[in-house]
Amino acid sequence: MSSLVKSRLIKFLLSLIIVSIAVLIIIFNLRDNIIYFYGPTELLKISDKQGQIMRLGGLVSVDSFQNETDSIFYFSITDGENEIDVKYEGILPNLFAEDKGVVVEGVYMNDGRFIANKVLAKHDENYMPPEVIETLKKSGKWQGE
Amino acid sequence: MAGRMSLYIFYISNFLLLLCLTASLMQSSKIINNKIFTRPGVIVLAYVQLISILLSFLILIYLFLISDFNFDLVYFNSHSEKPLIYKFSGVWGNHEGSMLLWILILVLFNFLFALSRRISERFKEITVAIQSIMIFGFVAFLFFLSNPFVLNQNNFFDGIGLNPILQDPLLAIHPPVLYVGYVGFSLVFSLAIAGLITKEVDRQWASIVKPWVFSAWAFLTAGIALGSFWAYYELGWGGYWFWDPVENASLMPWIAATALIHCVLILQKRNVMQSWTIILAILTFSLSLVGTFLVRSGILNSVHTFASDPGRGLFILLFIFLILVFSFSLFAYNSEKINKINSMGLVSRGTGIQVNNWLLITILTIVFLGTMYPLATDLLLNKSLTVGPKYYSTTIAPIIILFLFFMFISPRLGWTDTKLYKIIIQLRYLIITSLTITLIISLYFELFNLTEILIIFFSLLLVISSVTASINFNKQNILVRTNLGQNLAHAGFGILMMAVVSNAVYSEERIYNAKVGDNLQLQKYIFSFDKIEQVEESNYNSLKAYFLMKKDGKLIDTFTPEIRFYSNPPTITSEASILHKFFSDIYLVMNVPQDQQSISVRMHIKPFMTILWLGTLMIIFGGIISASIRIGRFDEK
Repeated sequence: MSSLVKSRLIKFLLSLIIVSIAVLIIIFNLRDNIIYFYGPTELLKISDKQGQIMRLGGLVSVDSFQNETDSIFYFSITDGENEIDVKYEGILPNLFAEDKGVVVEGVYMNDGRFIANKVLAKHDENYMPPEVIETLKKSGKWQGE
Repeated sequence: MAGRMSLYIFYISNFLLLLCLTASLMQSSKIINNKIFTRPGVIVLAYVQLISILLSFLILIYLFLISDFNFDLVYFNSHSEKPLIYKFSGVWGNHEGSMLLWILILVLFNFLFALSRRISERFKEITVAIQSIMIFGFVAFLFFLSNPFVLNQNNFFDGIGLNPILQDPLLAIHPPVLYVGYVGFSLVFSLAIAGLITKEVDRQWASIVKPWVFSAWAFLTAGIALGSFWAYYELGWGGYWFWDPVENASLMPWIAATALIHCVLILQKRNVMQSWTIILAILTFSLSLVGTFLVRSGILNSVHTFASDPGRGLFILLFIFLILVFSFSLFAYNSEKINKINSMGLVSRGTGIQVNNWLLITILTIVFLGTMYPLATDLLLNKSLTVGPKYYSTTIAPIIILFLFFMFISPRLGWTDTKLYKIIIQLRYLIITSLTITLIISLYFELFNLTEILIIFFSLLLVISSVTASINFNKQNILVRTNLGQNLAHAGFGILMMAVVSNAVYSEERIYNAKVGDNLQLQKYIFSFDKIEQVEESNYNSLKAYFLMKKDGKLIDTFTPEIRFYSNPPTITSEASILHKFFSDIYLVMNVPQDQQSISVRMHIKPFMTILWLGTLMIIFGGIISASIRIGRFDEK
């Protein structure tokens, strides 16, 4: 092998190793920071759901909204088939209302309650998060086009 | 039925689009050295391309201003009661209009380049031809798949309106500025391809490319900054960057372009790294297109999404694919011929820039994976997920430390082999000063996270070093001309990084539920809820709260966060009330959830926001200065 080819080969192998290490680190980090989205039915189906940060979306069930104090709220999220009770402490977005689409972020607890630390904001009254539409379609409750 | 006037406009504007299509086709045919289309010349055709598109753009503005609802586009995106400025910005607040704006800029760059002097005729012809192929593609796309000049058969009394969140003066200029950046790279791409075809990628090529690539980069930076500034005060979440896919889509071409501008500089000085420069030019423009595709196609759901027609997304995807296939095959075919063996020293400025190029590509990969992974799982596995912002901050931070180090040391090294220890000794006072300041900062502000301390240290080093480098006296104590653009931008980046880190560490947030008369506390400030008012404006009604901010019983300022209720289309937005101080911003947003008696107030203390914007401005001006110094000095040594 000529020295030029040799040095090129070494350079190539070296950069290949560095790149693969970098990509591996990135992917491991990525996996640690993934937040999955579920509808109520999907969430109840999966097994290892406790303690992991996830998003839950659906409609706010009619007559489920209660507030304990000015900033602690209880409501249920439904996809028409299953319901999950949510506890949320914080500030509710302007357009939060019963029978409207909502997406919350938090953890699912042993007692079957979802503790949310974020209610994702929306701007448009008629806007429905695509994940929620998907969820409602899966449960057959979607009424839009 | 549409009125006679509207009908005339319909014919004229569509004729103009076809005219541009024809001119671009003739212009593109010059890529082959033929005898048929030597006339009309490049400049005449460039005039035709520019004037036809400019006129049709002006017509579209006119249609929006007079609210001609006979046109579909105006009907769906405007409303007669909208203030004039938003009728105007509504022109590009929709898919078709923004495509026309995109094409206008594409044509403008083509025109400006066609007029530029001191470039060989053949090279100019080829570049303009390639640019015109793209113009042809986009105008054809506009004409057939998203024509802005489509009449409807109904007599609509009024339009549907523009999304109120887009009704903001900043958003009137954010898209044009961002587009100038994106589209500017189309010319850089054309120049790269022309260089491959003529096999002349050398110093002269670099000096032709330099002003274009730097100005596109400066505009892209400004466009991203404007978007971020808008998000900061309009979205009301208290943040300026969310690692949202839409933001990432604009950041990716920026990262590639940042690597590119440095390569163009090395190429100009040392005549090395020809292939890599070409690859970066192709990559930057492809990522600009990917950015447009992601944002506009409807794949990501956001205020930026206009098109819901999959055909449009498919077109851009196909276009990107063709560009990649074409340019990389040409590259594979010709790359050996453009490379010249020129060596750089191992410890030299060139090596430093090369290392940072690799670091930038790593950051680009991180952002790319984080943005694409959720899309891939959604498409392939039908599983929806999000990547948390922590992924980006934890993965990128360590790279930034290295990046800052090389940014600091590289300009201090010579182009040929340099002894590192000599440089370190030269810079000992700088290093000691930065180290002391960092120590004081970390002790005084109780900052004990190693990554954060290191970022602060190297940023400080970079800032001080860039500032001292730009004030350079020669032996006669006369201020010598230095590389002001570079030093300004580098210092700006250091300032930006310091601000970003301290902002992330020292931001504070309080949430209260308040009734009129309540006193709320945030650090040493008291906010008294004075009153709440209903205000009627021309295009919305609003609920305005008044908070008096006091410190030690003295009134300092009044905050008026608002909630706006728009009716066309029906939407509610929260308007933050922000007090900008040099060292920190105080930020109030309110919400009125339904079923509740009190209002919720979120208060933020956001330190160093002003400094953060200042750093960004320095980067932008650094780019503008570098773009305007036309001829680079050659280092023959």
